[in-house]
Amino acid sequence: MKSFHNSCARLLLLAACALSPSIADAEDVGGRWGTEEREREFYPIVNVPIPKDMVIESGAYCLLPDGRMAVGTRHGEIYILSGIDEKRPTPTYHLYATGLDEIFGLAYKDGAFYVTQSCELTRVTDTKRDGKANRFETISDAWGYANYHEYAFGSKFDKDGSLHVALGLSNSYDSFALFRGFVMKVTPDCKTKALASGLRSPGGIGHNEHGALFYIESQGPWNCSCSLKAVAPGSFHGHPASFNWYKQAPEMGPVPITPKSGTRIVTEKERVKQLTPYAVVFPYIRMGRSITGFTLDMTKGKFGPFEDQMFLGDYTQSVIMRATTEKVNGVWQGACYPFREGLSTGILNVEFTQGGNLLCGGTNRGWPVRGIKPFALERIDWSGKMPFEIKRVTIEPTGFKIAFTKPVEATTGNDPKSYQLSTFTHPYHGAYGGPEIEQTKPVVESVKLAADGMSAMLVLDKLTRGHVHEFDLGALRSRDKDELLHRNAYYTVNEIPAAK
Amino acid sequence: MPDLLAAEPEDQRNKIAEALTHFLIAQSPRKFQRVAIEEKEASAGKALFHSVGCVTCHSPRDDAGKELVREGVVELGHLPAKYSLASLGDFLLQPARIRPSGRMPDMKLTPPEARAVASYLIGKADAKVVALEPQEKLVAIGKEHFQRLNCAACHKVGDIPAAKPVGSLEGADATRGCLAVMPNKAPRFHLSADQIKAIRAALAKKAEQPSDKERLAVTLTTLNCIACHKRDDYGGVTEELNEHFRSSEKELGDEGRIPPPLTLVGAKLQRVTMKKVLFDGDGVRPYMATRMPQFGEANLRHLPELFAKLDAVKPIDFSLPKALGAGANQNQKERDREKEMRAAGRELVGDQGLNCLACHSFNGKTPNKAGIDLMTTTERLQPAWFYHFLREPSTFRPRTVMPSSWPGGQAVLKKVLNGDTDRQIEAIWYYLSLGTSAPEPSGIRTVETLLTVTDATRTYRGRSSVAGYRGIAVGFPDKLNYAFNAETGTLTALWKGDFVRVNRGGQGSGGFNPAGKFVQLAQDLSFCDLADEKAAWPLRPVMTKEAPVNPDPLYPKNRGYQFKGYAMDDASIPTFMYLSGDIDIEDRSVGKIADKKSQLVRTFTFNSPKDQTLWFRALTGKVETESKQQFKTAGLGLSIPAVPTLLRPTTTDSKSSELLLKFEIPKGKSTRTLTYEILP
Repeated sequence: MKSFHNSCARLLLLAACALSPSIADAEDVGGRWGTEEREREFYPIVNVPIPKDMVIESGAYCLLPDGRMAVGTRHGEIYILSGIDEKRPTPTYHLYATGLDEIFGLAYKDGAFYVTQSCELTRVTDTKRDGKANRFETISDAWGYANYHEYAFGSKFDKDGSLHVALGLSNSYDSFALFRGFVMKVTPDCKTKALASGLRSPGGIGHNEHGALFYIESQGPWNCSCSLKAVAPGSFHGHPASFNWYKQAPEMGPVPITPKSGTRIVTEKERVKQLTPYAVVFPYIRMGRSITGFTLDMTKGKFGPFEDQMFLGDYTQSVIMRATTEKVNGVWQGACYPFREGLSTGILNVEFTQGGNLLCGGTNRGWPVRGIKPFALERIDWSGKMPFEIKRVTIEPTGFKIAFTKPVEATTGNDPKSYQLSTFTHPYHGAYGGPEIEQTKPVVESVKLAADGMSAMLVLDKLTRGHVHEFDLGALRSRDKDELLHRNAYYTVNEIPAAK
Repeated sequence: MPDLLAAEPEDQRNKIAEALTHFLIAQSPRKFQRVAIEEKEASAGKALFHSVGCVTCHSPRDDAGKELVREGVVELGHLPAKYSLASLGDFLLQPARIRPSGRMPDMKLTPPEARAVASYLIGKADAKVVALEPQEKLVAIGKEHFQRLNCAACHKVGDIPAAKPVGSLEGADATRGCLAVMPNKAPRFHLSADQIKAIRAALAKKAEQPSDKERLAVTLTTLNCIACHKRDDYGGVTEELNEHFRSSEKELGDEGRIPPPLTLVGAKLQRVTMKKVLFDGDGVRPYMATRMPQFGEANLRHLPELFAKLDAVKPIDFSLPKALGAGANQNQKERDREKEMRAAGRELVGDQGLNCLACHSFNGKTPNKAGIDLMTTTERLQPAWFYHFLREPSTFRPRTVMPSSWPGGQAVLKKVLNGDTDRQIEAIWYYLSLGTSAPEPSGIRTVETLLTVTDATRTYRGRSSVAGYRGIAVGFPDKLNYAFNAETGTLTALWKGDFVRVNRGGQGSGGFNPAGKFVQLAQDLSFCDLADEKAAWPLRPVMTKEAPVNPDPLYPKNRGYQFKGYAMDDASIPTFMYLSGDIDIEDRSVGKIADKKSQLVRTFTFNSPKDQTLWFRALTGKVETESKQQFKTAGLGLSIPAVPTLLRPTTTDSKSSELLLKFEIPKGKSTRTLTYEILP
């Protein structure tokens, strides 16, 4: 929730910096992809009606084993929705629990909800079996909660039965309360351990298709764009404010060396050994401004060609994006892709329904949002038509492999000029946000389109570590004469694989 | 549907019809069943039928169910004989599944609504109707007839193919076939002489490509869009049907109940918005009872482009400043202009300006009337249309309630942007384009939400100045409330009357404040294992603006306190559960007002693995002793059990004292009860 911070950061900046925009200034939420009209043919948005007089500011979802969808709200309720997958849904809203404090994490196991609310991780059960929660047990409150800005985001269970909670800082710059800026791990025996530090303002936490843990970070100090970050035990994610609390977390090992502002993360991580580079950078504005909850497509093709990919919502721009990750030389990295714009409100979270549709929702209050509804639930369906998309970009020793969703026609597909690449990096610094710098323009030396037209191997004159490699494949045509639905993809190169 | 059997031998017609019926019934996966109609559903259906738009194509009915109009409507009297409740309900829900042409559109009925309308239309049908059991032999014969008569030319059944056309119409003899005065084997359409004449004349003329205007008119007429919408000089709601167009926002006048005109709609709506309305069922007029039907994307795909081609208003060029954020503007003059326009737009929209809020909603908030939400403006409309419409609403909509704020092009409000009409309209557009990133206009009141308690006790969690960030408020139906700080395990406030006000506006996180005058208690730990009577009570760390970092982040935990949650009983009264050292504590308070006394009875249930002493800090401040078991502070009385007490000055303030109770906790379970009373 970058934007949450922006305003707050401005409050702080205001005193220090006369040039800084005042809080009352209006912000343009950024350009559009301009693809909405074409997207609807492949991925129509279906409104999920909310009964009159009901306010559903959803912050977390959980698909229940029986196919119903649980929705946790900012107002602290848990609703259970039935009938959400109908062609024209008119779901029933069953109020299961009330009185909780801003729900940004919802998991379910053995008849119990595990709710990440601002104050704690709570097990919520209905022991009387009358459909209303009556027991709220504290599973973990091992962190401080004492400042306006301290949001908490919870994951689903990992394969060992643990949950993870990502804790935002007290504001954009400081960690005033215990473990603000940490990822905490809560094990099945309800023990809480510090897992990672250096967070600024997470917007969601979850796993990729290999079960590796990631969280989404917001643009701001030490982060010039939003990014997906891979969370390993003891890892440090760039914002040093949370160093305050290492003495309370011996499991984290020694306090990392304080990073130098104004460096590059690719070099600074050699010095600060716990520093983990951004796995996937989402170029600011072009690819979201305050990315929030994300989920994994495990619909077995019900949602189209993007099985095993991450889908992420953006609060400010009311868009959904995709991301793919791969591990190279032991480091996670990957790419992001535009997916769908034109949602009605600021997206706080997303989840796949039993029917394989993507439920999206949130609110537009308080911060700049493109979506024009104060709150909404919407479903993105796959129409069954195959869009022509960049399916996945992966790295090769001398370039990239690009997979497509439809066969690419040979003339454009074999022409190196159809593959326009450029790169940039960000400074790694404590200032709020930052520019794209040190741009390069790699030359595509050769391209080889696979015989089936479904992928292309690019050989570049150069791959640059620490740079986002931006693809513009607008010149490509599919064999059925289609233009790409989205022409861009953005791959973050942390590591380059060795030649086989 | 022509008569296809007229040419068959007379004694065969019934037999063919019967066989066809057996064949067609056999295609249906579901068996016909007559069920009784629920009166309540039928009456809901009647209201829907006469309000959502059905009566624009079908006749309205009188109370006896008799159709009132015969001319130019699709009669529905045959429905009870044709449909079961289930099959008609299904059809109404998704008409395009059966009739893909879209002429019977999808009225966006929910399943219960579809059932209700079906109940109304079928009414008290003959209950004795028995379902026809298809006989195999007749089914086979029926299939042959179906193929022979080429029913598949118009109707799809399974994968039975249509026969090839008998020939081209071009150059065909227009005196033969179905146009013959006495058709022989051809299907009979029962055409009048005039109709035959007209068709012949049309066939004789060379086929012409219809113009875009004609194509549009044909679509709007075919799908009967013109029953609700006026476009240029045709269409619109007839006098006869006018009463069936209703609104939940009567004050909006005809704007609230009559569907908008389609004149210039291609210049009005952005194309993606038009697609959302036509294909996705979107809309911005929740107050209008008549619904915009869905005709199916396949049937309307050509419309957005056609409208766009035909409709134009004089282009305008808004000179909008670049907002901050995305590539912030560094040019000071431009920044000043941005600020000025934003402020002007906000003022014009607000209740101190042109007061658009008198009729329009704003981001889901409706200060007055629920007219179209202004937040949708720049998403939906094209700037040029907006500009011209604002200047002269009545040229677009005669008699509209939308006022002209620039009559004759002159701004009514002179003080904003020097009364420059163009700049004012531009500023409104700019301000609305900023959405939630600009402050709300004056006139939108963001009030805190009042939560009330009705028949069951209510528990609400959230940050609060009276109970800390991990605060919990509990309200009883008797209008007595308390707050509990879960971070320290302490009852921290009591109050009478309404429950809490929560802040859910803007960036509000839902934090609460007591809705009435409250008594505040200390928020430090309540239970502690003191070394001796001299030992100071451990106080919670205090953070200030100057020293915001928590100096003692494990204050409660290092002193043995751990919150464990709460459980509700059948009356939804919560029992808080926590640990103090190795003692399990259950803490349950019940509020009630009896004999004009507002009392909260608080019961601790201890479960201890051994005999031990536990201190409880009951009160702080100016504590007065009324008796051995009765104490008082400002606004609050406290009755305690017969236990040793210690009333001593606090460490921080010599004028203030603290009342400590010494609980000797036995091994196993034990209880202690306190009673708080809010003093008048």
